[in-house]
Amino acid sequence: MNTEKFQLEAKDINVWFGQRQVLKDVSLQFPSNRVTALIGPSGCGKSTFIRTLNRMHELIPSAGLAGSVFLDGQDIYEEAVDPSTVRLKVGMVFQKPNPFPTMSIKENVISGLKLSGRKKEISDDLVENSLKRASMWTESKDRLDEPALSLSGGQQQRLCIARSLAMNPEVLLMDEPCSALDPGSTRRIEETILELKESMTIVIVTHNMQQAQRVADRTAFFLADDNQPGYVVEFGDTEQVFGMPVDPRTNDYVNGHFG
Amino acid sequence: MNLEPVARPKSAEPWKKTTANARNLQIVASLVPSAVTAAAWLLGGMDLIVSILFVLLPLQLLAMGLVGLILKGKRGVPDAALVVMTFFFGTFVMVLLLSVLWSVVDAGFSALSPQFIFQNNVYVTPTTGLEIGGVGHAIIGTLLVVGLSTVITVPLGVATGVYLTETRGKSRGLIRVLLQAIAGLPSIVAGLFVYSMLIVTGVSAFAGWLGSLALVPLMLPTVARVTEESLRLVPQELRNGALGLGAPSWRAFLMVTLPAAKSGVVTAILLGVARVIGETAPLITTTFAAANTSLNILQGGLATMPTYIYNYISLGFDTSIARAWGAALVLLILVGILFGSARYISRPKSLKPKKKKEKR
Repeated sequence: MNTEKFQLEAKDINVWFGQRQVLKDVSLQFPSNRVTALIGPSGCGKSTFIRTLNRMHELIPSAGLAGSVFLDGQDIYEEAVDPSTVRLKVGMVFQKPNPFPTMSIKENVISGLKLSGRKKEISDDLVENSLKRASMWTESKDRLDEPALSLSGGQQQRLCIARSLAMNPEVLLMDEPCSALDPGSTRRIEETILELKESMTIVIVTHNMQQAQRVADRTAFFLADDNQPGYVVEFGDTEQVFGMPVDPRTNDYVNGHFG
Repeated sequence: MNLEPVARPKSAEPWKKTTANARNLQIVASLVPSAVTAAAWLLGGMDLIVSILFVLLPLQLLAMGLVGLILKGKRGVPDAALVVMTFFFGTFVMVLLLSVLWSVVDAGFSALSPQFIFQNNVYVTPTTGLEIGGVGHAIIGTLLVVGLSTVITVPLGVATGVYLTETRGKSRGLIRVLLQAIAGLPSIVAGLFVYSMLIVTGVSAFAGWLGSLALVPLMLPTVARVTEESLRLVPQELRNGALGLGAPSWRAFLMVTLPAAKSGVVTAILLGVARVIGETAPLITTTFAAANTSLNILQGGLATMPTYIYNYISLGFDTSIARAWGAALVLLILVGILFGSARYISRPKSLKPKKKKEKR
């Protein structure tokens, strides 16, 4: 394991909202072309943590942070780094599907390129390719000019994935991407994730244990005691975390004894 | 099983089932109070307004309350009372608005003619007949003065709204307080301010652009606050979506947030124009008045619709008052045209393909 290259590495992440600390000393490594799942009860800081990985965290007005996140060996929190260039390489899919309502399906797919001033790269091939990788192509190829909001919730979420993929990110962060979706859409997104990891590193927050076991190579278990900051209890290969957890609290959680 | 769709039956709205008995009760309960009121007004010699307020409203409340009690039991009474009150006051406000509109149309219509809209007032005295002269010069003046102040105010106001919602600037609270304070400014103060700062000191004589300046502080709070409210309604998820794709914040704003708030921003501008287009006091003290047509906003007095109306109303002759009413009607129509076209231009562009698809 140690010989593997870590494309993304979080080191000693501490997070505060106002004066309240919500994450304490979180250090996780995300190897290339692997899926890492972050699990844990609500309020333990998983979503907060994943947002520190592409500097979305700092958009919350009261947020504070200490620690480093290394992307390809470069600390993304260094002064010279522009957060928007970080987000070009580290894409994000949110909990709630958020296609741009004023744009068509096609415009949504290419919106990232327009938003980052890379209009030259826009092509029909890219649209088709991105939608295919998000397994959205067959459903949307005949209605590319329709408004994005005419899609169902599951389709909207896959459109958001396609929108991120069009940017060709190195890392894709997914914050409970299936929590608002039905089982069928969930399954399709999971298949997509397994295909995508051939070409990128994926970090996914999920409340669904079975989902973590189905898609993740590595799993980190977060926990927060009452009014205490969240921390990582256990981090290892998914099979080990679910099969023979080292920490009794992990065992209780993954077997549904609390949480 | 047969899954063929069937035609919609008449009974497809079971929540509208009404028995003949209940319907009769409701009809009686609506007719009796009206009949009694009509009797009090026509036969009893009661004033119409008084009879509506003190006969119709209480009787109607009582009657519908009773019907509610009979049909639905106790919980039917407040329900009926609320329905009666809503209907009554809704109608009241509607009648008020329509009567204002009607009095302008009624009094102004006789003055309307192509010549009234296109000619100016050069050879007109207060007693000149309506077949000579018009408000053409005042229409042009109003468009110029309000146009210039819109051009000045919209960038300022929209930028203020953007500052209040999209940034974390430290003086946001102060700006909000100041905007509220300016919103309470009596409009004549704005006019006198410009008058004392620029006309008394000799910087300029009466001129159109001074009027535009005086209108800016009146328009600004409306544009800024309504823009702020409409931007605030854009969900944070959309901004996050754009920023998460690696957009610099200015592009995220221009391409995602602003388009999502477009109709609100247009409303802000329209409300701002509506706020000032009828303003008289700040223009009397700055643009003054003129009888001739002038396109020069930089120099010389300029006639505008509100000052035209004010002048001719205060002259007091029948013909001049008729002119003022006519001008009021023209102003009303002008505002209607302006707003209608602004709404049409800014309507949400249809993303749907031209050909209609079969609905599922």
